Amino acid sequence: MCTEIFAFAGKGGVGKTSLSAAFIRILSEYFPDKRILAVDADPAVGLSMALQIQPVLTLDDIRIRIAENIESGQTAQAIELLSEAEFHLLDAIVEKDNISFLAIGRPEAAGCYCKVNAYLKQVIEMLCENYDFVVIDGEAGIEQINRRVMENITYLVLVSDASKKGISVISVIEDVANKLTSCRKSGVIFNRVRGTFNADCVSGIPPVLSVIGEDESQTENDMQGESVFSLPVESPLYQGAKTALFSLLEEN
Amino acid sequence: MKIFAEVTEKMMSLLPETADKSVLFNDEFCAVNGEKNSILFRSDTAYELGGSGKPAVCSIVFTDLPSMRDEVILYGPDLSEITEDTPFAHITFVQLKQKNEEELTYEQLKNIGFTAFQIYPEGYHIRISPVASKEQVRVAKTALYSDSPLSFLNVGCSLIRAFKENDDVEFVRTVFITKKEFDYRALSDLAQKAKKTTDAVHSTLQLDELDCASCKMKPICDEVEGLRELHLKKEKEKI
Repeated sequence: MCTEIFAFAGKGGVGKTSLSAAFIRILSEYFPDKRILAVDADPAVGLSMALQIQPVLTLDDIRIRIAENIESGQTAQAIELLSEAEFHLLDAIVEKDNISFLAIGRPEAAGCYCKVNAYLKQVIEMLCENYDFVVIDGEAGIEQINRRVMENITYLVLVSDASKKGISVISVIEDVANKLTSCRKSGVIFNRVRGTFNADCVSGIPPVLSVIGEDESQTENDMQGESVFSLPVESPLYQGAKTALFSLLEEN
Repeated sequence: MKIFAEVTEKMMSLLPETADKSVLFNDEFCAVNGEKNSILFRSDTAYELGGSGKPAVCSIVFTDLPSMRDEVILYGPDLSEITEDTPFAHITFVQLKQKNEEELTYEQLKNIGFTAFQIYPEGYHIRISPVASKEQVRVAKTALYSDSPLSFLNVGCSLIRAFKENDDVEFVRTVFITKKEFDYRALSDLAQKAKKTTDAVHSTLQLDELDCASCKMKPICDEVEGLRELHLKKEKEKI
């Protein structure tokens, strides 16, 4: 199966999760016969809420279990570890129509997510073979790209608001991604844009896929705790995400 | 095999007197191979053996049972007779050609045991937890609702063929249990004991400790007849 992987990245608070969720919804609506894997790679687990899918087990839960088994000497060889991981992985995947959902979770202890990210990479590679589309909602910043979690992605979707900081962050991410990943195509979505922002005047960034203004229907949706599937199709977020998605897909 | 004799005997005693199906191995009965790493989605699944929190036990035991031959035995309904998630157990008895325990190596046992992780019958998605000695299987709707529905006979023969590819294997008896009235808990305890025994073969052979009083493997050696002798014999050979 030829899997197309969308990875979202960008500064915190710019709407990566909402856009990831919108991509997932649009893919499921326009490609009902295709399999979609939604990966919530953000420790804040926002994608789970946006899709209203509650994971019972996260990848980190599995990692902890396996680490405990190794420490207690119950599993020693790679084939056993892989079998153990696969056993639990199926329980961690929540299926809803043609969408499967997988949460990375967050370690209880403070510290870095390097181990989780390394584990995530292996699992995503194994899982991807079963899906037509994979959408990864990454955490803010370049950490996952830097750790090569997102090494074999098809589309890098960089999300920013109109702030200089946001634009600076996506420039850095794109630079790192170009060096460390094999990405077929990347593009920028400007989200929550107010006032007289002109995306054409921004230089040094990948092509702009869409510019989305403040979306009151999305704000209302969030406040009500509704899923992305409740968002009206005429909403700016839905329409902007659709434009961006088909812009990425149309040239392939 | 002496170190597995007790667990084998107890497992056999748990099995019902009469099997619902019993078939000798035939290569022509083997299931069609599916793809490795292929997931069977819930929407494509008819039911899960050992699913919905029901018992799901698996074990591989090395044995010297006198009546051993290559065969598939089923206690309970076959795949096409099951309609919902059901309790499940799968025991594989393996008899090695090399019957001399002193020549036994941990790698041999482990490598033969790993065969169970490497078969992929089409429409029969096996997942195994080595830690918990659990095996759950998603069975595809397409595997059941066809002119020649998949059966345990097909799966069992595939497993036996895979085991027999190992030159050290003489006979394989693979037993499937889907009966609702069966002591799965007792079987699970025995499966865990069999796993500990296999692991202990490795541990004892790695240890240089000759003083049983201070050895950390004492509890399992006390429990499994023949393990201590195996260890001490190996240590003497080193000297």
